[in-house]
Amino acid sequence: MYKNFGTMIKRCVLYTFICMLFLSTSAHAYVDPGSGSVIVTTVLGFIAAVGYTFRKFFYNIRAKLSGKKKPKENRSLDD
Amino acid sequence: MTDPSGIAAIGGSFRDPTSRVYAVKSDTLNETGRILRGLDHEALDNCHKLMGTAFFVRLLDEKRIVSTTFPDNNDAAVKDIMRSGWAGVVEHEVVPFVSYPYEWSFGMLRTAALLHLRILEDALNEGWTLKDSSPFNIQFIGTRPIFIDLPSFVPWAEGEAWVGYRQFCSCFLTPLMMRAYLGIDHLPILRSYIDGIPPMEASKYFVGSSRFRFGVMSHVLFPAMVEKRISAKERDNSEAKSRTGKPQSHSMVLGLVQSLTRLVKSLKIELDHTDWSDYDQTHSYDAEEHNSKKAFVERAVSGISSPHVWDIGCNTGTFSLISASQASQVIAIDGDHNAIEKLYLSHKDSAEANILPLVMNLANISPAQGWAGIERIAFDGRRKPDIVLALALIHHIRMSANIPLDMFFEWLKRLECEVVLEFVDRHDEMVVKLLTNKSEQYADYNRENFITQAKKHFNIKESASLKGGKREIFHLVPA
Repeated sequence: MYKNFGTMIKRCVLYTFICMLFLSTSAHAYVDPGSGSVIVTTVLGFIAAVGYTFRKFFYNIRAKLSGKKKPKENRSLDD
Repeated sequence: MTDPSGIAAIGGSFRDPTSRVYAVKSDTLNETGRILRGLDHEALDNCHKLMGTAFFVRLLDEKRIVSTTFPDNNDAAVKDIMRSGWAGVVEHEVVPFVSYPYEWSFGMLRTAALLHLRILEDALNEGWTLKDSSPFNIQFIGTRPIFIDLPSFVPWAEGEAWVGYRQFCSCFLTPLMMRAYLGIDHLPILRSYIDGIPPMEASKYFVGSSRFRFGVMSHVLFPAMVEKRISAKERDNSEAKSRTGKPQSHSMVLGLVQSLTRLVKSLKIELDHTDWSDYDQTHSYDAEEHNSKKAFVERAVSGISSPHVWDIGCNTGTFSLISASQASQVIAIDGDHNAIEKLYLSHKDSAEANILPLVMNLANISPAQGWAGIERIAFDGRRKPDIVLALALIHHIRMSANIPLDMFFEWLKRLECEVVLEFVDRHDEMVVKLLTNKSEQYADYNRENFITQAKKHFNIKESASLKGGKREIFHLVPA
């Protein structure tokens, strides 16, 4: 149970806001909504690049500290 | 359509203006002789360069890309294709049976997605990229996925985004997440959306806590939000805004591809027990009777040289496996997703497996669809089998799907092949179970009518009684 009524209202408002943010409508004939993927790939690509650079840096540091060679690339299509 | 020289443009290859695929008829009935591809100047130039790259050679060695050669320009078929205006022609290895993503189990779609990402990552590491992410660019030879669309490879231009990102999410990632996170049967949805499930549509499925599952916010809800805003802003008489996007570094593109690889690898499903997924343990035969049935099937299949076999209603593929040692290829079909998934998972590591498992409801097989109904070929229009196994299926066809016996036999006859058919009589406990609680009792479903229909459409070559007369197995040959 929520400690007080105010907390419950705040959570309801927050949840409703999140829901409204993602409500969608159908596409229209002359508009290419798919053109928005350049925006999406820019944002997600930036985040991914940070992770990519960090991982590369981390693996290099770990390899230097442990003296082990970089592990052979896993070419399998499974885990 | 086939022109007089026996060359036919393949319906599904027209969307890319840089090339077109042609099938050259074989002298052997039912088989595609050769697959040739006409290329424009740019695609031809790319193809020459691509074949010299280390990653392409490695992918070829790993049998992950369709084997491709440059045929002799004096070849009659090549000359014919060149006359259509193409700058050059390449010849591809023939895929024995074409299948579509809406026929693949979860594991097959997941492996195809990982193959696409593997190839893209390799390409990016050597300055190349894939210009699209169509799942139709991947085919299965047995259980081995293979990439077939060479003109998709283009040199990566500095600053260029991953242009196939949206298509990858719509065609691979979203259906996989729908199955893994929501338990939704993604196949009928993919059959309808042959260009992939658009983000705005996909976002409607992810409600409540599923919005917070790994990857949903980033790859479904965020793109849907962006697209919704674009649609709202630019509709009616508003001008369309040009969106070229900011230049993207190599790390951004590669990082995104790698993060999607991790996401796809994290997607798993639990295989629930269904009527057919444990058929090997739960079928109603004792061991001796089951062995007699296996021997009958083996005898019928081995009577044809390297046959192309369809096992329709295959469950987990017991009889597909028996046929596989004699067959060139076995297409194992069942409407039960988990049974097919089990069959796929148990054979996916076998490089030489010649069983292609497909999920399909036999009462509603994949239709001819796409542009003008020629882009995707109906399941029974792709290649005729040499022999069909329909074992303990006919009572489901008649009583579960309400398909009259004569219509089922007519369909089989149109395939112009031999058939091994197991008739399950009315007093078999499985038919009794099927009829319990049904108001319609299918009086026409009896041995006498079955024999009449069988003889009307086929000749009975051999038959044997099974399960103490409750069942009978028939080897039918075209009349």
